[in-house]
Amino acid sequence: MRVATRYFVLLFLFASVAGIVYWFITYEAVGTILLLAFACTPAIIAVFAIRHGSMSGRRPEDDAEADPATEAGEVLGPFPAETVWPIFLVLGTIVTGASLVYGLILVPVGAALLVWAVLGFTRESRG
Amino acid sequence: MHRLVSTDHKNIGILYCVSAFVFFLVGGSLAEVMRTELMEPSRQVVSNETYNTLFTIHGTVMIFLFVAPFATGLANYFIPLQIGAPDMAFPRLNLTSFYFYIGAGVLVLLAGVAAAGQAAAMGWTAYPPLSEIRLSPGVGPDLWILGLVLVVISNVLNGVNILTTVFLMRAPGMTMWRLPVFTWNMVVVAILGLVAFPPAAAALTLLLIGRRLGGLVYDAAAGGDPTIYQHLFWFLGHPEVYILILPFFGVITEIIPVFSRKPLFGYTGFLLATLTIGMLSTGVWAHHMFTTGVIDNPFFAAMTLLIAVPTGVKFFNWIGSMWGGKIWLAVPMLFSIGFMLNFLIGGVTGVMLASPALDYQAHDTYFVVAHFHYTMLGGSVFGIFAAIYFWFPKMTGVMLSEKLGRVVFAMLLVGFNLTFWPQFVLGQRGMPRRYVDYASGLGYDTPNFVSTIGAYLMGVAVAVFLVDVWRSLRRRTPAGDDPWGGYSLEWATSSPPPEHNFDELPKIRSLRPAFDREHPELAP
Repeated sequence: MRVATRYFVLLFLFASVAGIVYWFITYEAVGTILLLAFACTPAIIAVFAIRHGSMSGRRPEDDAEADPATEAGEVLGPFPAETVWPIFLVLGTIVTGASLVYGLILVPVGAALLVWAVLGFTRESRG
Repeated sequence: MHRLVSTDHKNIGILYCVSAFVFFLVGGSLAEVMRTELMEPSRQVVSNETYNTLFTIHGTVMIFLFVAPFATGLANYFIPLQIGAPDMAFPRLNLTSFYFYIGAGVLVLLAGVAAAGQAAAMGWTAYPPLSEIRLSPGVGPDLWILGLVLVVISNVLNGVNILTTVFLMRAPGMTMWRLPVFTWNMVVVAILGLVAFPPAAAALTLLLIGRRLGGLVYDAAAGGDPTIYQHLFWFLGHPEVYILILPFFGVITEIIPVFSRKPLFGYTGFLLATLTIGMLSTGVWAHHMFTTGVIDNPFFAAMTLLIAVPTGVKFFNWIGSMWGGKIWLAVPMLFSIGFMLNFLIGGVTGVMLASPALDYQAHDTYFVVAHFHYTMLGGSVFGIFAAIYFWFPKMTGVMLSEKLGRVVFAMLLVGFNLTFWPQFVLGQRGMPRRYVDYASGLGYDTPNFVSTIGAYLMGVAVAVFLVDVWRSLRRRTPAGDDPWGGYSLEWATSSPPPEHNFDELPKIRSLRPAFDREHPELAP
């Protein structure tokens, strides 16, 4: 994880410096905001990774000598086999979005589909 | 039905790849109609308005619904296998992302077939004021915008999933500096997606608000600024070029060492070049806006020239890997070499266009069309075919035909260059892009004729490829677990892999764990 954290820090520094340099060269607001906002994205991930010692600490996958047979004991938990809720979630999103084009009458239909999908996801994830 | 709702990463990977290829057939068919129209001067096949819709939907489909999703499909299938994980980190999110992509595809296609006068016809960049409701009326552009917003959601979800999977689910011993290059490149693509797609969502939402709710952000007459859209759009648009090409840099970097029977030359240098491209690609967006007169041209010219350096480094990696190797010219290797040749031309002409002086002359001409097709089609699509021929045996357990594969490669290489090289000539002679017709006697006739013949040849090549896939799946010539003598971890499991990927993981002590297992005498 340390390699990844370093890269995110590097990205943050690059985008920050690029944003500042860009502003003083061009005095153009949109590009400056884009670059500084870009700096925030890796910064958030880097801060999270640094603050959580377990992530930035040494894990079996960071150990060049680790052996899968002896060190892979971590139980990842069950993986979901099938789910239909993504289909309803996307349908709900499309119908809600289409209300901007075809009329607000579609909002209740889209919202109902979205709520149904979220409830379905929640029920499913609780097993 | 089971396949459509299964959250297994391999199943979702195949769904992505098959869907993306279907969109490729749609986008390619639109291109064939356009080339037929342009084969000779005067109008033959389509109306002005239909032609505008054709190039709008063609560009959107190829960029957002074919190349990038195909790479996502490969990532879904192969990242867990390459890092020794049983699945992606968020399987439900993975399937959700896929359905957002399918929803996007449906909306974009509906945008193209909306009633006469209502279809999306404003180009795949949808610049205002052309995309405003007074110049692009009807529901087509709105459906197109909604479709692209769904593309954004899909890509952001994918980015989160890929990063979490790679950072937290690697097998013991699979350090970051032992990651296969394809996986590394997808990590950079995921980061770029997280950074670059949200501004595009903002651009598109503001566009929709302007069209339907009276927003004035892009309306110059009301004190707005249409170039804000261009900034936001190209902040996605140019990293998007790397989102489309980096996965296939990864693919051919997996292939070339295997078929040269050598380790990859300069792994660390290759990765540093990829990471540098990832960073610099976010600082070059406005080279698409040189002619607007509202940006600092030298800044973006310098950044664009700078990004050519790490891109060039990769050629040294590829040539160094082949140098002195025992080169096996199987079909995946042929496509990889084709990729290098085509992409080199695309890259060099990109450096030319980085010069604002030249760009002012070439802007909106066929020179630019040829340039980006040399990178996107000559690069990414050749990379896609390389990936298919390389990994099809792993995904299905059966081999594709080597003989038909060579035919497909030859026809695609010749057809592609016949199609797009003449477009450099057209651009130099000043033919503008996006014109449905041209006058005879301006030097456009012969290049357009040759270009159309090339496009037809590519169409035949794709048909032969489909026959190859159909025939191979019927004949089922067994591939074995590792038909190529592959290096990375996916070759250390069965073909196709079992449900949770590995019955037993080998020790990971180098970049080539599968090779080390087969050749312990050479392992570190």
